[in-house]
Amino acid sequence: MKKSFAVFLKRNLAFANLAIVTNLEYRLNYFIDAFVQPILTTGIEVLLWIAVFKGAQSETIAGFAKDSYLSYALWSAFFARIATSWMYEARMIEEVSSGSINSIIVRPMTFYEYYLSQFMGYKIITTLLSLTVPLVAAWYFDLPTIYSRIPLALLLCFYFLILVHTISFIISTFAFHYTKISSITAAKNLLFWILMGELFPLDLLPEPYKTIFITAPFASGTFVPVGYIIGRVEIDTVYTGFISVTISLIVLNLLGAYLWRKGLDSYVGTGA
Amino acid sequence: MIKNLKKYFSLYGAMFKASVIADLEYRANFFTRIATDILWYIAQIMTFEVLYQHTERIGDWDKYQMRVFLGLLFIIDALYMIVIHENLENITEKVRKGDLDLLLAKPVNSQFMLTLQKANTAIFGNLILALSWFFYALTGLPDFNYERLLWMLILIPCSLAVIYSIRFMFSATAVIFTRSENLQFLWWQIYKLGMRPDSMYTPYIKFAVLTVLPVGVIVSVPARALLNPPELSYLLWPLVLAPILIYGTHRFWNYALKFYSSASS
Repeated sequence: MKKSFAVFLKRNLAFANLAIVTNLEYRLNYFIDAFVQPILTTGIEVLLWIAVFKGAQSETIAGFAKDSYLSYALWSAFFARIATSWMYEARMIEEVSSGSINSIIVRPMTFYEYYLSQFMGYKIITTLLSLTVPLVAAWYFDLPTIYSRIPLALLLCFYFLILVHTISFIISTFAFHYTKISSITAAKNLLFWILMGELFPLDLLPEPYKTIFITAPFASGTFVPVGYIIGRVEIDTVYTGFISVTISLIVLNLLGAYLWRKGLDSYVGTGA
Repeated sequence: MIKNLKKYFSLYGAMFKASVIADLEYRANFFTRIATDILWYIAQIMTFEVLYQHTERIGDWDKYQMRVFLGLLFIIDALYMIVIHENLENITEKVRKGDLDLLLAKPVNSQFMLTLQKANTAIFGNLILALSWFFYALTGLPDFNYERLLWMLILIPCSLAVIYSIRFMFSATAVIFTRSENLQFLWWQIYKLGMRPDSMYTPYIKFAVLTVLPVGVIVSVPARALLNPPELSYLLWPLVLAPILIYGTHRFWNYALKFYSSASS
């Protein structure tokens, strides 16, 4: 038992390592993904909030000062990039629809863990490198940031990533039955974009939408961790996030396992 | 010249027909695409509707004017998605798989083929939605002069030319770098600058988004033609800019091709 766990751990660390090496190989590509894109998003959002405050002619909006919104714009762009999956989901879909999944099925591992480890490896390195930007910017511009809260916020975000991967896994099982499903990824990520709180802090929504959006598991990708770091939400909302993600993980993993078995039953071995 | 134009028009007609048939073949994908864009519309509308609950004006415009701006954004984006988007999205793939070789070997302009080979006909559904939102938004402006809509006949094609030119240059970098997916995502970030009204920006940034990186011309200029008293120099700028940019894409494409070493060789 102990030995098999060690093998499992070693194997998955190797997958994670593989993802890190592969992504760092194309440095310009990686640099744009981890730094340039979120920095640009932050810039655009900061400009929006400055314009909003200018128009509002008020010191606070919904009880929070301009600094709180600027800090939110800064952190949310980076958290949102960490909390979404484009590349690995596209690869998983391609693997199933092209039939190259054969080489994974015959190995002593699961498709789910193979990509989860790679996905996590990629996200860990992205987090370590890219979060230096908001850390330095928050310190330099003296934006509201409670540094001691960052580890728990990151933990929630990474827990949420397992859910993100599970959803990617479910979507990839559709490729057993349909040939072209790439637009589902785009639709899903747009939905995440709305529900996670990347567009604006979710506590600006009127009730009952505010409570619904914040309690839903998607808020754990951006709004809850960022809100916790900058002091917009407290620890009870973080706990709610963990509970909400856990419930979703149970339900979606059961669904994923069912869809995977059904997909394999209809799979003919040469691609869907 | 006329004969050549006729040839390209009939070629586009044939490619458009083929696109309709291809899109109808994958019906699930067809409907998901429409749903995707509806989600994007919702995201844009929601952002501003929520913000306007807390402020009277953003930049120069109130809530009703911003709705018109968004309507224009949706229309221009839908037209771009129908005619151009999918083709430019696939350039990286074509370069990597060697499909570009086939296009370069054809007796037609390779830029034309790369740009217009596939139309995304599913987006016609979105265009109808976008037009509906736009006209609904106009009803919110009680003193709106409907004659101003005539400006759109000139300014929307100019916007499409601008959006195409910038996007094409981003896509064409795939020929130079081979792997430039994230550079393509970068386009999306820059395009986002144009999805917000230019009056929101500080003077230097506003100048930059109207000239150096002219994404501000795409929606803000036509929206101003509808919402503000006409300022001729401002409105004529896209007419000057569009041909310059289109010519720029032609030169850039020829330059990029010098780096092409063919994936299949």
